[in-house]
Amino acid sequence: MKSGKIILRGIVQGVGFRPFVYALAQRYEMCGTVINHGSEVEIDAGGENFDEFSREVAKGPKMAVIDSVSVQPLPDWIPPKGFFILKSQDGARTGFVPADIATCENCLHDIMDPNSRYFGYWATSCTDCGPRYSIINSVPYDRERTSMDEFPVCKACLNDYEDPGNRRHHAQTIACTECGPKLSLLKGSGEFVQTADPIAAAAELLDAGNIVAVRGVGGFHICCVEKTAERLKTLLGRPNQSLAVMMKPETIREFVVEPTKDEWDLLKGPVHPIMVLDKLDPESHGSLSSLHNLGIMLPYTGLHHLLFAKLRSPLLVMTSANAPGTPMITETKTIIEKMGRVADVILTHDREIVNRCDDSVVRDGYLIRMSRGFAPLRTRMDLGDRQILGVGPELNANATIYKGGFLITSPHIGNIRNPPTVAYLEETIEKLTSLTGSVPEIIAHDLHPQFLSTRVAQELAERYGATLCPVQHHCAHIASVTTGEVVGIAIDGVGYGDDATIWGGEILAGSPANGYIRTGHLEPVMMPGGDMATKFPERMLYGILPTEETLALLQSRGWNDTALRILSQQTEKRFNTPVTTSTGRVLDAAAALLGICRERTYDGEPSMMLEAYAARGVAQPMEITIESRDGRDVLSTPALLREGMEMMSEGICAEDIAASIQTSLAKGIAELALAGVEKTGIRKAALSGGVAINRQIRETIILTLRESGVSCLTNPRYPLGDGCISCGQVITAGILAKEGRI
Amino acid sequence: MKKDTEVNLMHGAGGEVMGELLQTLTAFKNNNAGGIGLESLDDGSTFTVGGKTVILTTDSHVVKPIFFPGGDIGRVAVSGTVNDLSVMGARPIALTCAMIIEEGFPIADLEKIVASMDETLGEVGASIITGDTKVVEKGSLDGIVVNTAGVGVIEEGGFLIRDRNLAVGDKIIVSGTLGDHGLAIVSYREGFDLGDQLKSDVAPLWKMIEAAMKAAGNGNIHAMKDPTRGGFAACINEMARKAGVKVVVREDTVPIRESVASAGSLLGIDPLQVANEGKCVMGVAPEAAERVLAALKSHPYGKNAAVIGEVVEGSGVVMQTRIGGERFIEPPLGDPVPRVC
Ligand SMILES: [Fe+3]
Ligand SMILES: [Mg+2]
Ligand SMILES: [Zn+2]
Ligand SMILES: [Zn+2]
Repeated sequence: MKSGKIILRGIVQGVGFRPFVYALAQRYEMCGTVINHGSEVEIDAGGENFDEFSREVAKGPKMAVIDSVSVQPLPDWIPPKGFFILKSQDGARTGFVPADIATCENCLHDIMDPNSRYFGYWATSCTDCGPRYSIINSVPYDRERTSMDEFPVCKACLNDYEDPGNRRHHAQTIACTECGPKLSLLKGSGEFVQTADPIAAAAELLDAGNIVAVRGVGGFHICCVEKTAERLKTLLGRPNQSLAVMMKPETIREFVVEPTKDEWDLLKGPVHPIMVLDKLDPESHGSLSSLHNLGIMLPYTGLHHLLFAKLRSPLLVMTSANAPGTPMITETKTIIEKMGRVADVILTHDREIVNRCDDSVVRDGYLIRMSRGFAPLRTRMDLGDRQILGVGPELNANATIYKGGFLITSPHIGNIRNPPTVAYLEETIEKLTSLTGSVPEIIAHDLHPQFLSTRVAQELAERYGATLCPVQHHCAHIASVTTGEVVGIAIDGVGYGDDATIWGGEILAGSPANGYIRTGHLEPVMMPGGDMATKFPERMLYGILPTEETLALLQSRGWNDTALRILSQQTEKRFNTPVTTSTGRVLDAAAALLGICRERTYDGEPSMMLEAYAARGVAQPMEITIESRDGRDVLSTPALLREGMEMMSEGICAEDIAASIQTSLAKGIAELALAGVEKTGIRKAALSGGVAINRQIRETIILTLRESGVSCLTNPRYPLGDGCISCGQVITAGILAKEGRI
Repeated sequence: MKKDTEVNLMHGAGGEVMGELLQTLTAFKNNNAGGIGLESLDDGSTFTVGGKTVILTTDSHVVKPIFFPGGDIGRVAVSGTVNDLSVMGARPIALTCAMIIEEGFPIADLEKIVASMDETLGEVGASIITGDTKVVEKGSLDGIVVNTAGVGVIEEGGFLIRDRNLAVGDKIIVSGTLGDHGLAIVSYREGFDLGDQLKSDVAPLWKMIEAAMKAAGNGNIHAMKDPTRGGFAACINEMARKAGVKVVVREDTVPIRESVASAGSLLGIDPLQVANEGKCVMGVAPEAAERVLAALKSHPYGKNAAVIGEVVEGSGVVMQTRIGGERFIEPPLGDPVPRVC
């Protein structure tokens, strides 16, 4: 008999690792034990088929991520009679917990099968699926350290749990109608509604046009059918914002163009994100989306599947329940308090949501929001021995921690601008540090002195005695894509530059280790009224094109004399007109020029509306003006807008002008990058920033570079927008620390 | 952020950056004469003479333009010192006046300034009893700098008020509309034609504060401060920080003139972040709040007074917005510098 100790490290928790090992032990007739230490599984095994067994074991179950496998001899080992699963122990915690997993096919089958004892049970799960991160209090991942601890298993569930042949052998979230969490239906006011089947009742109410708050995996959704969407948006005070919808897979092609194979795999896979897909008819379903595309997800919990089984409507609007810019609501009492006037009824359950987790959003294979199913995201990277925390930027923020060769990034947190979101950032950091057992020695943060995240970093640095490391926003963008030497293209709304102006259209050549040289940027333009110019893009238009024609245009749009006079006086005197090279602001101004968006009612509205117009238009070539100033290449954005204005007066349609401005801007940015390649001799580019979510701009840049033989990297694992910043901050700090510079 | 090696204009703007300069300028070891000293960075300081507490404060004034709607540099110079004494609960008695004047400054303007100072003193029954004058070469300063210092005493039945003693449960009262002075000066100086003429609120507040103290009863005004440079935002944050408490303000109760609000939104300036020269902010024991409010309202300078929030445990200053959200009220970095995030 051959024996040995097999140690597997990685994400080995909450993925059914021990039952997986047990099943293999049965198949290969091994004896021994398996134990989970948090981030490593230790197997003592002996038998005739030891080699085959250890080869199979090393592959791990479907959801596991194996970083390393080692096999050691077991001298003087006394083999037990049979194979046993030992109780979890605390251990090294680099492995972290897996993200939440959408209900698997097998469980869905159980839920829909009248002969199964899980028939109709909304919280059915197994070792392959179910909530993970959202319910975990601490590691190792065992039922007693999750919010499932409240629900002692019944006899039947215990049998399944203990039966090595069962799919739910050692499934920590095992539960059934008998013993598991229960649903209830409430009125918006919180009053209990008596019903035998809360899901059927909710479905009926939804079909009849009611608004229902539904408690999901990582928080509450506000749901309704399509005909109720307008009312919902009015009640939420988000009149123009697009709403995510949920539908069955077979319905999708009635609404949007067929997803690609990869998109289908993602839609139906463990993550089940929201996928932004182009509508069949760009102008259809306006109440769901005023854009040319629609965010769609498939039912991803037993509750959703059961709801759709009862629902007559083909889709449900499913928008996160929260006030704009604040965290998603997770608790029933909060939903009553904050959304009781919006929701007619509340479909809730009694399983506590320990960690909030919003839906993830994907478009064209790129992450827009990294959350449920993707995060906590674990990335292997050697940044040395010190433990590093990155607190992220201000908008669309998340946090990242580095310890012992791994980066772990939290789910999306939001805009760190108000007390609840600051508190959520602090909670998330607390969670990351305690789950990974780390004590930050270096805390990386944004360069902006007034960001609340910077304050959080300062407070934490004091508490931990950690060293602070400020990282410029756009350098963090590029560092998140690659640690190599590149010509970085960072295009976004806003970031604090090292010259104390507002950047956002930057060519940064270099690497995190050697720093970046700003070889080019967009024309610095004025933002009349500061932040007011982001809210009212027409101000931005005037900031870029401060001419009589612009004033006349604004007057024709109903601006009153006083406001116009002040706008021009303010701009002339440069009173409260901060200077920016932001790409986002140029797109805002273009949307204002074309009359597409006059007031921003949600983040990114003007540029998203511009993209929707451009998607229906045909681009015409425009003159691209680049001049050298102080040794840097500067792309004239006023020239582009001026040409757009001329096209308007020639009667060219807004769609074509939108497409022309977008493409020309993208070509101009690519030219800036190529000039940087020329200057530095670095023949590789990297693209990041929220503007790169715009398909036409992203593809134009990449194509233009490719035509000149320059390849362009993007980061498919982290969001293009600011969801990559905390990671870029940590990488930058880690590289500096490794070189002894911090 | 890099530490500055030279003084720049941001250092004088009353925002967060000024705090850094203050560290340099208050590095005196001899900083306390047996009372409240320089280390407190309160509106004024105290010392004792013959068993009686005397309050002392000083303030230099540069205003551009010198004459503006609602006032002039003279009225600002007297009100500034009078108010710094008043917010400590002290009756202003005697002031000094030092002027540094640029060669070529019109005598007629000096006459107007002096007359205005005198009128302002008269309102509160204080006097300027000594002074000093320097004339400097043309170009070495812009027009005129007026410095005033003042002494005051706590009256029989009065009480000393600090800026650091906010207590949990206190009601936060402002004595009137916010942002008037800052936006009036900015729009007048820059020549912004806003339609409505904005007027500075510059005024000496002793009589109003005296009435409020009487109504409050001994010690019931726990903390008080005048929201000058950096505006209400800087003032309330400093008060909260010094007391180690959190202040919650309700947006719909904050008095801001329509014309000031609209000027603020046209220029992109937050009225809470610009100077006031005739207002005070106080934390009042809840049982005394109604009485204090009524007393303030009965005085012309306090007729728009309002309870705008309260003190709770925690830290920072939070505004509950009209639409039911929450945001931080943050001290401005400078004045007026937009946040632009
Ligand atoms: Fe960014
Ligand atoms: Mg003062
Ligand atoms: Zn399953
Ligand atoms: Zn059960």
